[in-house]
Amino acid sequence: MKNKFKKLYEWIDSRVQLEDLVKFMSKKYVPVHSRSIWYYFGGVSLFFFIIQVVTGILLLFYYKGSSDLAYESIHFIMSKVQFGWLIRSIHAWSANLFILSVFIHMFSVFFEKSYRKPREITWITGVFMFFLALAFGFSGYLLPWNELAYFATKVGTDIVGAVPFIGEPLKYFLRGGDDVTGATLSRFFGFHVALFPGIFTFLLIVHLLLVQRQGMSEPLEFKDSEKEEKKTMPFFPNFMLRDLLLWLVVLNILAILAVFFPAELGLKANPLSSAPAGIQPEWYFLFMFQTLKFLPAHVFFIEGEQLGVLLFGLAGLLWLLVPVWDRKSARGQKNRLINYIGIFCVLFIIILTIIGWVLK
Amino acid sequence: MNHIPKLKLLILILSLMLIQFAYAGTDQCLNCHQDLGDNPSQQFLEDVHYKAGLSCQNCHGGNEKTDDMEMAMSKSAGFIGVPTLNKISELCAKCHSDSEYMKKYNFKINTGQFENIKESVHGKLAINGRGMIVQCITCHNAHGIKKVNDPRSPVYPTNVPQTCNKCHGNASYMQTYNPSLTVDQLTKYRTSVHGKLNSRGNIKVAECASCHGSHNIFASNDVRSKVYKLNIPSTCSQCHSNKDYMKDFHIPTDQFSKYQMSVHGKAVFEKHDLSAPVCNDCHGNHGATPPGIESISKVCGSCHALNAELFSASPHKKAFDENNYPECETCHGNHEILIAKDQLLGVSKGAICLKCHSENKNQKGYLIAKEMKKLTDSLIVSDSVAKNLIFQAEQKGMDVEEMKFKLREVHQARLEGRTIVHSFDEAKFKEVTTKGFNASEQTITEAKAAINEFYFRRYGLVVAVAVISFLIVILFLYIKKIEKNKTN
Repeated sequence: MKNKFKKLYEWIDSRVQLEDLVKFMSKKYVPVHSRSIWYYFGGVSLFFFIIQVVTGILLLFYYKGSSDLAYESIHFIMSKVQFGWLIRSIHAWSANLFILSVFIHMFSVFFEKSYRKPREITWITGVFMFFLALAFGFSGYLLPWNELAYFATKVGTDIVGAVPFIGEPLKYFLRGGDDVTGATLSRFFGFHVALFPGIFTFLLIVHLLLVQRQGMSEPLEFKDSEKEEKKTMPFFPNFMLRDLLLWLVVLNILAILAVFFPAELGLKANPLSSAPAGIQPEWYFLFMFQTLKFLPAHVFFIEGEQLGVLLFGLAGLLWLLVPVWDRKSARGQKNRLINYIGIFCVLFIIILTIIGWVLK
Repeated sequence: MNHIPKLKLLILILSLMLIQFAYAGTDQCLNCHQDLGDNPSQQFLEDVHYKAGLSCQNCHGGNEKTDDMEMAMSKSAGFIGVPTLNKISELCAKCHSDSEYMKKYNFKINTGQFENIKESVHGKLAINGRGMIVQCITCHNAHGIKKVNDPRSPVYPTNVPQTCNKCHGNASYMQTYNPSLTVDQLTKYRTSVHGKLNSRGNIKVAECASCHGSHNIFASNDVRSKVYKLNIPSTCSQCHSNKDYMKDFHIPTDQFSKYQMSVHGKAVFEKHDLSAPVCNDCHGNHGATPPGIESISKVCGSCHALNAELFSASPHKKAFDENNYPECETCHGNHEILIAKDQLLGVSKGAICLKCHSENKNQKGYLIAKEMKKLTDSLIVSDSVAKNLIFQAEQKGMDVEEMKFKLREVHQARLEGRTIVHSFDEAKFKEVTTKGFNASEQTITEAKAAINEFYFRRYGLVVAVAVISFLIVILFLYIKKIEKNKTN
């Protein structure tokens, strides 16, 4: 058996030079320090993405992306398809945990200032993937075509309409018309299963290649340490096995959540009915939604909602370009301001999310 | 001698003054018009208003004191001539809507007639587009108005049907307002108990105004109408539940109280169900008569068609006819018809079948009733088991929509059973209940499968978590091992 594997390895190696890759990986080391735990969240996010792709493909076998059949097809998946309920529940839970994991990964990179030279492109591709993850969540939420999804999409696209100048055309483009209809569902379905995965996969490849090429970012304090003083562990197999261990733990959590709290379907969307009370977006949009609700109707000459959208847009842009304006970290100096900004952002997101949840 | 002409002149002048004074004290309008011999002035002498001291001037204006036609009927004297359209009713209302004024004549008199008629169906715009369809004089006449309790009045109870029929019996006239409204009300009314007694001079029986109202008449589909479907039982009960009022007629007065407790009454009063029958659905409205024994099944069958058809083809039909039993009423009663519960069937206490069947008498029917009840009870048990299992599955978070839908077939079979029971045919009854048993069996199987699926998921999770946890432990130990080896 062992010989057969060896022969197979040699057969592949003679064609694609696997040996080079193994040598590269075995020479790769991961820094070990008090905050090494955060390194694993990139891998966990990747694991969730893989689960999303696999379960998403399985759901595609039965899902029908039209307003007449979407709800019924999901109902069919949940009640008739063998393990359909499990696949959909895992897809739904994994989507949420994926975004949570991406949040944690992104903030850990931010606090470690790992975006500094030479990893600016890795950061930028990562932030774009974060935005795409949110877009995945927003587009996927509508696909069951149930009451909550319908009205949440209506509210969500209304907020898009508040973007100055391009808001209305953008809203019209997203909805495929003046209102949320079957046309909206069709294009959200297209975004969710074709456009976004395509872009995401490209960004992911670039992101992973850069991580492999440049290695894990070392903390700032390693800069002044001697090579012997730096604690490291081999990427292969040590770090990879630890990653795998965490993936298994996550899989266990996912299975428990999917079985004990399976995804619900609710009532079919009825555009003629009134919106149910306390309609809210998914938790990862809640802090933005709550902020917009707290803003007064008018702030000086601008509408409150417009101002909110502009501020979030500006914050997103600054967040994306942090490697450009944080020159101190790029020079290897400590930058407390970044820590304060990061803490403010984390607290802002957590507090506003809790308020949004409580005020539901 | 010179004094004689002067005296004659004085007497002449005084006589003229006396004549003038006497003339001035009477209604000059009436005097002249009576001389002309016209109808209005003749009729007015019998008018209730004339007797109350009113004159022509009160309605037509002018100066009734003078015999000078020009002066009496001048505009400056307020003469308006013959009022038309709504002016007529407005003139009547000038006094009849003034409660203070009317108190002089009758303390109890109603003064809301004009307001009522304006709101009523008769107060709508006529086809001429200039006034109400009906004015006061349409029913009360213009110059020969009598008191309502005067048998000569067109609105005296025995005259009301004919008065209403002037318009309502005129097909071409009614066509212009409501083509779908029949014009045979009077003909039907004369066939009814009410109509027959009314034509014999009985003023206590219902005539048009008793049920429809007088000035406040609304279309029967208007919720304010006394004959709106849901108001009919109360309207009829005004007389039929009044013991004192009905004592001359020697009929029961408990129909309304019984009806209120019946399945039909509950549907009407509690659910406001417009499809449920009220008094006139069984007795007729204008031709109201109690249905005879032979027609009861036809009356009930107009709604319960299938039940009536099954009964007519059943062996009971012949037996009931021979014994002169009213068909539906024998088992279900009339005004107090209760909900047809399953307990009515069978041979247990409270079952209707026992009225005629027992182990010793009419035994065949007894045995069939017993078997039918057994099947019904079994179906109820199956239904309950299925419901319970569906509930359990639902509590466990399983999808039970299809099962609930299937369960409807069991309910349907129970309902069908209540209909087919009127055939009193055991084989037909079994056929219906078998459908219910099959549906309930299928539902029970599916509900059990859903409950098993729930446990399969839980056990499956336990196995999956155990396997993954085992792999975690193995991997953890392996990592420890390779890291220990490296340290060494």
